[in-house]
Amino acid sequence: MSKLTRRTVTRGLALSAGALAFPTIGRAQAKSVKIAMIVPLSGPWARQGQLERAAAEMALEDINGQGGIKALGGAKLELVVADAGDSTEKAKNAAQRLLSDQPDLAGGFGAWLSSFTLAVTEVTERAQLPWLTLSYSDAITNRGFKFVFQTSPTADHQAAETLPTALKLAEAATGKRPKTIGIIQDNTASPVSFAKPLRDGGLTKLGLTTVVDQIFTPPLSDATPLIEKVRSGKPDFLLLLTSAMPDCKLVLEKLDEFKLSHGKVPLVGNGAPFGSPELLKTIGPELLEGLLFSVANWPMKGQEEFIERYKKHTGEPFLTQDGLCGYGHTQILKAAIESAGTADKLKVAAAIRTMNLTSGPAAQCFPGPIKFDDKGRRVDVPMIFAQWQKSVPLTVYPTELALAKPFWPSV
Amino acid sequence: MTFAASRPYRRFMPFSLVDFLQALAAGILVGGAYALMCVGLGIIFGAMRVINFAQGDFLMLGMYAAFYLATGAGLSVFFGASAGPIVAAFLAGPIVFALGWLLHRFIVARVTGAGAAQIEGAGAYGQILVTLGISLVLQNGGLIVFGSAPTGIRTPLSRSSWELGEVLLNQGRCVSFVVAVGLAGAVYLFLGHTRQGKGLRAAADNSQAALYMGIDVDKAHRLAWSLGVGITAVAGGLLAGSQSFQPYTGFDFVIVMYTGVVLGGLGSILGAFWGGLVIGIVQQMSTLVLPYQLQNTAIFVVFLLIIFLRPQGMFGRLSERT
Amino acid sequence: MTLQPTVKRQLWVILGLAVAVLALAALLRSDYFELVLTQVLLWAVLSLAWNILCGYSGYFSFGHAVFWGLGAYTVALGMLNWNLTPWLTIPLGAIVGGLAGALIGFPSFRLRGHYFALAMLAYPLATLYVFQWLGYQEIPLPMKREAPYLYMQFSDPRAYVALALGLLVISLLISLKIENSRFGMSLFAIKQNEPAAEAAGIDTWRWKMLALMLSGALAAMAGGLYAVVLLVVTPEAVFGMLVSAQALILALFGGVGSLWGPVIGAAVLVPLAEGLNAKLGNVLPGIQGVVYGIAIIVIILRAPEGVYWRLRDKWSRRQPQPLAPPLPVSAVASLPRERPEPAEGDLLVLRDVGISFGGLRALDAIDLAVPRGGLYGIIGPNGAGKTTLFNVVNGFLAPERGAISFAGESIVGLRPSQVCRRGVGRTFQVVRAFPRMTVLENVTVGAFVGAADDAAARRMAAVALDRVGLSPRANAVAGGLTTRELRLMELARALAPQPQLILLDETLAGLGHDDLDGILGAIRQVRTDGVTVVIIEHTMQAMVQLVDHFTVLDHGRLIASGTPETVVRHPDVIEAYLGKKWAQQVTEVAK
Repeated sequence: MSKLTRRTVTRGLALSAGALAFPTIGRAQAKSVKIAMIVPLSGPWARQGQLERAAAEMALEDINGQGGIKALGGAKLELVVADAGDSTEKAKNAAQRLLSDQPDLAGGFGAWLSSFTLAVTEVTERAQLPWLTLSYSDAITNRGFKFVFQTSPTADHQAAETLPTALKLAEAATGKRPKTIGIIQDNTASPVSFAKPLRDGGLTKLGLTTVVDQIFTPPLSDATPLIEKVRSGKPDFLLLLTSAMPDCKLVLEKLDEFKLSHGKVPLVGNGAPFGSPELLKTIGPELLEGLLFSVANWPMKGQEEFIERYKKHTGEPFLTQDGLCGYGHTQILKAAIESAGTADKLKVAAAIRTMNLTSGPAAQCFPGPIKFDDKGRRVDVPMIFAQWQKSVPLTVYPTELALAKPFWPSV
Repeated sequence: MTFAASRPYRRFMPFSLVDFLQALAAGILVGGAYALMCVGLGIIFGAMRVINFAQGDFLMLGMYAAFYLATGAGLSVFFGASAGPIVAAFLAGPIVFALGWLLHRFIVARVTGAGAAQIEGAGAYGQILVTLGISLVLQNGGLIVFGSAPTGIRTPLSRSSWELGEVLLNQGRCVSFVVAVGLAGAVYLFLGHTRQGKGLRAAADNSQAALYMGIDVDKAHRLAWSLGVGITAVAGGLLAGSQSFQPYTGFDFVIVMYTGVVLGGLGSILGAFWGGLVIGIVQQMSTLVLPYQLQNTAIFVVFLLIIFLRPQGMFGRLSERT
Repeated sequence: MTLQPTVKRQLWVILGLAVAVLALAALLRSDYFELVLTQVLLWAVLSLAWNILCGYSGYFSFGHAVFWGLGAYTVALGMLNWNLTPWLTIPLGAIVGGLAGALIGFPSFRLRGHYFALAMLAYPLATLYVFQWLGYQEIPLPMKREAPYLYMQFSDPRAYVALALGLLVISLLISLKIENSRFGMSLFAIKQNEPAAEAAGIDTWRWKMLALMLSGALAAMAGGLYAVVLLVVTPEAVFGMLVSAQALILALFGGVGSLWGPVIGAAVLVPLAEGLNAKLGNVLPGIQGVVYGIAIIVIILRAPEGVYWRLRDKWSRRQPQPLAPPLPVSAVASLPRERPEPAEGDLLVLRDVGISFGGLRALDAIDLAVPRGGLYGIIGPNGAGKTTLFNVVNGFLAPERGAISFAGESIVGLRPSQVCRRGVGRTFQVVRAFPRMTVLENVTVGAFVGAADDAAARRMAAVALDRVGLSPRANAVAGGLTTRELRLMELARALAPQPQLILLDETLAGLGHDDLDGILGAIRQVRTDGVTVVIIEHTMQAMVQLVDHFTVLDHGRLIASGTPETVVRHPDVIEAYLGKKWAQQVTEVAK
């Protein structure tokens, strides 16, 4: 158990007792602006929510420590947190509760899992509350909503960016361009959204034939039949779209067991779970060394000092997408409030719509400028590739954002 | 770039012989773990006729117990990284056994067996809710105590295999399989040949009569319950080296356990064992002909087929009293 | 399962509840509370739907999520793909749910008890995976900005409260109707003792199917409205274990098999869980689940059958049981016989009937002829095949060989309820009364098969009670009866549909001397009333005084037949009962 957990437990127990005894805890400060965060804090995805929360709290410390919201005379930024729990119903209830309890929210972000985000944004849209999210399933920005802003590139875009770059890297390492591809993915909404454009002609455009195409329902019980298909299919290139760390572990270990790892089959993963500290703890550094994965957001060049601060603040071994987005979303909202000059949610939303941040603490957290189109999507965003090097996943591509150089794991 | 020698992919046959054998091997090995956890549930279900919704959470406790024993208590250091997790899995059993004993004594006994005979439906309703309540407490308590990050025991066995021709047999799963079979066999002998074991079976068949025969039905049930959760916990411990888990993992296995036990026949330990094994085989081999996504649907289809054609399961007995 | 509150009183309570909910909705300030209130109502509907099948009939289902999910997806896909409004697709969902119930019921009702419950578990989960495979991971309901009311998209959440309340009232009314009709009584009978219910003439399969289809339809409608409220449908959210568990938990917690149980369960548990999430969710994640689990455990330990029953028991203990005035004898005598007069001749004839179980010959070459109006005894040591004989006559077992005819017509191959309809009544060795129902209600269950409507059934039940002398206890709750009274009640239940023949299975077993006289008197009265009686016993002494004719079975074969005096002295009979030594002694004495 990390120091954080123990501290959280004792604090939590004390606060629980207090919360049960008194209806509201923490009277709002006289001059403060409130933003909301709805993430899973209990249930199977609790870990991700807790990471986002820790980083968001760090952002609060930074913002308030440096004078708060200057445009509002140094008003403090306050974060109101709700637990999205383990079901869409709980997520929706959390959103409705938050909105009912806090009528003067300026904006908010969450809810990590795409189906939770969908449920939450149905509420926030009707309340006209600007909402940021790192989820990227197609449905999120396909609904014609005006107050939802997706900081991750769309699945289409991710797919379009990932494959060509990955193929280029594979060709650079092995000397020949892959002709056949194998896809292994789970059937949650995000990988499905990612793979759809590929199957709808994206692969043929890249001159690739699919020889292995397997979709499983998570959680995976055993990866043997899956990897057996890879062994017999012999793709030149393998794309892994597993969105949960336990499944990543099973697949990667099975590849190793079948002697297909360490570059035997050039492989690229997609998604932050491929870079999680838990993966390191359960698989170990040797197997992970050289593993390449694409992700919507990962610590980049210029953030070194920030990374160190984060590690000290949270006790985590390294910074991941959840932390980066937790911090970044808070900063984006702060920037929007500053730009709007008011905590009025409509004006804050307008500020986000017209935003084009290329520098500052918010922009530093995301690759590419922070600019949203009329559907709430970010445009012209480079896809980041990270690689495990000496037990840390480091951004290796695009070069201007890289913290390390990519290498191909030797056979 | 070379691969392990394998048959080339044939477009006219959906799968090759090696694919088939590999899936079968995987099914058997995975099925071994399922079989053991089904035996645990089977003991409880058979002896007490209780639907224990918390069984998956005891599995989870077994995983965590093994984890802490292996890493925190240093068993992996003492016995080595390969053997340590196995020993830890074994020791997880008694720990969860003890917890089960306490739970039964203070909570479960009030709504099951002799204590519940006076209530309409023999406390069947209360049982379900109590075990659901226990499940909630274990899962969420687990979150508080263990934290939310998925974790697992690191062992070299999880990615090494023995080669049987072209078929690869995962070492970690093979060892777990052997342990599972051994333990299930020991339980079977215990139930068949010891006094307590026979008392358990008598209490299961006819608790009224057993009472009159002087068998302490309450104690028998407590033994069944604790043994059942303990065995399932060992199965969890064995799995802890192969996969990662978090406090809500147990949920994923409840269905496997129930389908396995019913498939094998309620009240039969042998049946529970074979039921679990069959579930594992169906789950892995269905991927040869069905989309991978429908693995678990295949389990249910097989499950439904079997209980329609043979409601008493493979080894169970049909008993209806008019 | 209610008698004391009359139907009218229940209706007033339902009205009162509706008014209270509307008032609450009007008074509540925040959208959040309205949302929670809507959810309370929807989950209550699901739980009531579950209760209709499971609470009343005892066929536990762990898979009601399948109906909920089908209803939700009907609405979601309907709106997304074909622009159909939920005003249309929610009722459409009811049809889908009902059909699903029929489809599921056909194969599943061949199972009983735990097997049924676990089979039900499989359906929603299998469907869940199929829907994921089909690509329906996330279906958002499109926002209709132009014609929101047409698509049930209200900006005022109180509209949803009203809609959910409407569904709840419908469900309550349906449940109330069921509880006070033959439908409900049949389900209770099935729950209590399905074979007995079948033998009493209740078409168990039909009622179970109906209950499942109705249950499915209601659950699907609630699921459809849930989709409208949640605006996002995912397979886990609507087909998952949590949904099925919720239906169960609320009903069991609130009081299984009662009208108000699910409502109480929803009203207490849903806000409790949500409140815990709200207060503690972000403070110490997980503590809310721990507290909720502990709360459930503690409360269930104190009220294992649910809150409603606990409260009812406490309350009813303070009220004295009202005694029913006995029906005046003249009234009884003048009640028209509701069945046609029987013809002459032997009523029940068995010829060469045989059946084996595995290698064991349970019945072998049985010949029997029971004359009309006779009091016929079948006797034999344990394991002789007596109950098997009854089971064969009744239709629970099919004979492998031989013919059985009743009133001149063959009854081989008929289901027990059909045999009963022909005029054969039966009691069982193990009497299982419905402990919370009154004696009259218990007996009325048996009268349905012969009655044109529920009122006629009640009349016939009253007559039957009077015939066995149990009228003073008509309004007593059956759970408090003595063994003698239970046997009499069982007898009355078999008599209520005015059968021509009644099969009594060990009615005298375990009775003390005084009780015995009472029952014997009742049986004699039954015969005087014109009903032919065949009675199984294994104690000679009581039977000798009672019957006209004895048949003795041993090891499945007829070993003696005749008047009591001759049979008692028959050497084979003595040998069968007392052993060879005794038989020799008796024959020596007789010489």
